[in-house]
Amino acid sequence: MREYPTGSRARVPLGPRNETEIVTFLQPLRRTWAQRALVAALVRRELAARYRGGALGFLWSFLNPLLLLLVYATVFRFVFAPRADVRPYALFLFGGVLVWGFVSAALIDAVETFRSNGPLLRKTTVAPEVFPAAAVGARLVHLVLALPVLAAAIVFAVVRGRVTLGPAVLEFPIVLALLALTLFGAALAVSALSVHFGDVRDIVANLLTLTFFLTPVLYPGDAVPERWRWLLRANPFACFFSGVHDTLFDFRPVPASGWLWMAGTAMVALAVGGAVFERLRDTLAEEA
Amino acid sequence: MSATGPAIAVAGATKIYRRYAREAHGTLKSALLSRRRTVRGEGGVVALDEVGFTVAPGESLGVIGANGSGKSTLLKLLAGIVQPTRGSVAVRGRLAALLELGAGFHPEISGRDNIEITGLLLGLTKKQIAARFDDVVRFAGVEEFLDAPVKTYSSGMAVRLGFAIAAHSDPDVLLVDEVLAVGDEAFAHRALEKFSEFERAGKTLVFVSHDLGLVAERCRRALWLDHGRLEADGPAGEVVARYRERVATDEGQRRAGDAGAGGRIGSGVATVEVVRLLDGEGRPVGRLRSGQAAFVEMVVRAPDALSDFAFGIQIATVAGTVVFGTNTALEGLQAERFAGDARVVVEIPALDLAPGVYTLDAAVHARDGAPYDYRRDVLRFEVTADRAGTGVWSPARRWSFSGGIRWRP
Repeated sequence: MREYPTGSRARVPLGPRNETEIVTFLQPLRRTWAQRALVAALVRRELAARYRGGALGFLWSFLNPLLLLLVYATVFRFVFAPRADVRPYALFLFGGVLVWGFVSAALIDAVETFRSNGPLLRKTTVAPEVFPAAAVGARLVHLVLALPVLAAAIVFAVVRGRVTLGPAVLEFPIVLALLALTLFGAALAVSALSVHFGDVRDIVANLLTLTFFLTPVLYPGDAVPERWRWLLRANPFACFFSGVHDTLFDFRPVPASGWLWMAGTAMVALAVGGAVFERLRDTLAEEA
Repeated sequence: MSATGPAIAVAGATKIYRRYAREAHGTLKSALLSRRRTVRGEGGVVALDEVGFTVAPGESLGVIGANGSGKSTLLKLLAGIVQPTRGSVAVRGRLAALLELGAGFHPEISGRDNIEITGLLLGLTKKQIAARFDDVVRFAGVEEFLDAPVKTYSSGMAVRLGFAIAAHSDPDVLLVDEVLAVGDEAFAHRALEKFSEFERAGKTLVFVSHDLGLVAERCRRALWLDHGRLEADGPAGEVVARYRERVATDEGQRRAGDAGAGGRIGSGVATVEVVRLLDGEGRPVGRLRSGQAAFVEMVVRAPDALSDFAFGIQIATVAGTVVFGTNTALEGLQAERFAGDARVVVEIPALDLAPGVYTLDAAVHARDGAPYDYRRDVLRFEVTADRAGTGVWSPARRWSFSGGIRWRP
């Protein structure tokens, strides 16, 4: 008989759960979807709050990747010569580094999100899944805002005849969308776990550092010797970065196996993240 | 959904908080490494214990009780913010919880954006928010500050805005936790008006407050929670009276246990030895009926003769609001000499205090106010009355009516 607006936090808490409800791990996704207007507003709030007061405002979104690009271009041209034969290496790096920035920032923010939104969680009836969703969403918008710089770099390389642009670049948004879904699944899990366990933040930060080197960001996936390839396959993020390199650097269509890996990873992440979140959900407001 | 069912139904609701939320299995590492599964709910703090009640649509329910009695937990259960450990909580209709006004505000963004987010948090659609926007802004009186970040708002403005948004979210059930304590007088008045509007519209109101007078006045029915248990559930006036009685009794026992524990300051040149409250017949009492005569008796002592002295008393509510105070200097008495043991009696022919518990201070001090012996809260007494009322004054009164008004005998 509890009749809340769809997606609000409460649900019928009477005795055993109704078995005819849709599979529980889908619940957080369903509620997030129902609250998408709130998620969008929280993302806008996040961005507005971050950029308010800074004279450069949204320019910071451009400036940081621009600086990165300059550093990579300089270091890998004049200091280290990369062993893998990918040219121009700075352009190769740029897309991967931008996207990796999204991955790590989104997960770190997700770990913190219930702490920073504690009052909202404890004092309002908001559906808690909107917070990890907004954490990932805000970082996704950051990345999208930086894409013009990447586009300019690609145009520059094309004009100078270093690369040949292909229509496969249009597949990048799909790669990004699947990555964002994967991150949302992971964010659901780490945000809820971090409320209960003090060391989740450290675990996530260390795993990210480690994973960075196990992910084809600094090197192309096919430069990895065959006997180490299993490491890449065990890394859930590797397939996305192969996709990034396909669409943003080689401009060749993502192979069907690539799509399968990405879609599969996203589904597993959402299922596991959703299940973990659903299990801990009722205790979040008490413990955050 | 039947039209006649209760708006709120709580049955056997029990909430146990884990005592050491973090220490229980502090780190993920140790939780994964240890094979033992922590048993939840054991050794916890029982915040609510088998509480059950129903509220009909359109009813206004006050919830009273000491700090830590489970009032806020009950509201959180009703709001669905926490889930009961056992039992059930069901709320029908759209709910708005005012547990902390402006809880959702982000200090860095504008009032305009905060209105939108808070509205969405309360379950409104963007269209509904846009439709009510002007009313909210007018109610809160923040027209000129709409585009300024909320951190520049005064606390009063932020509270008004928070209330305005929630009040305009058109809930069927409104949960209110002590929020009126933070605003100024004018705001509290407007908020109460809004509550009356809710009631007339047949909405359900659940109201947690320490302001017993307000509960007795605003609510038809009240719950009294004591250590998580439902101690009483009935007409608000009755429940409040019983609660006051209990507070006075407990207070009396506490006093008896450690007599003279109230604060005492002064040079000690003269001392207040004993303070008693006497009824009209001169019997020491702890409870008086409103409107009866009362005497405050002080036994005082000045080991060395004094020429600069004054005696004073002060009555205050338990919450600290001074009801009345005076001293012999203010009364125009000119001090001449005070030496040895003496007795001071203040006669009050009619103690016109509203029902409640009051504290008494007694002092002997210099005419300029420098205390010789100031005894704060030296005794407490309860005033009872047949007729309820709010405030601290309960004057003798008579109603008269003419025309087409008739009362049942």
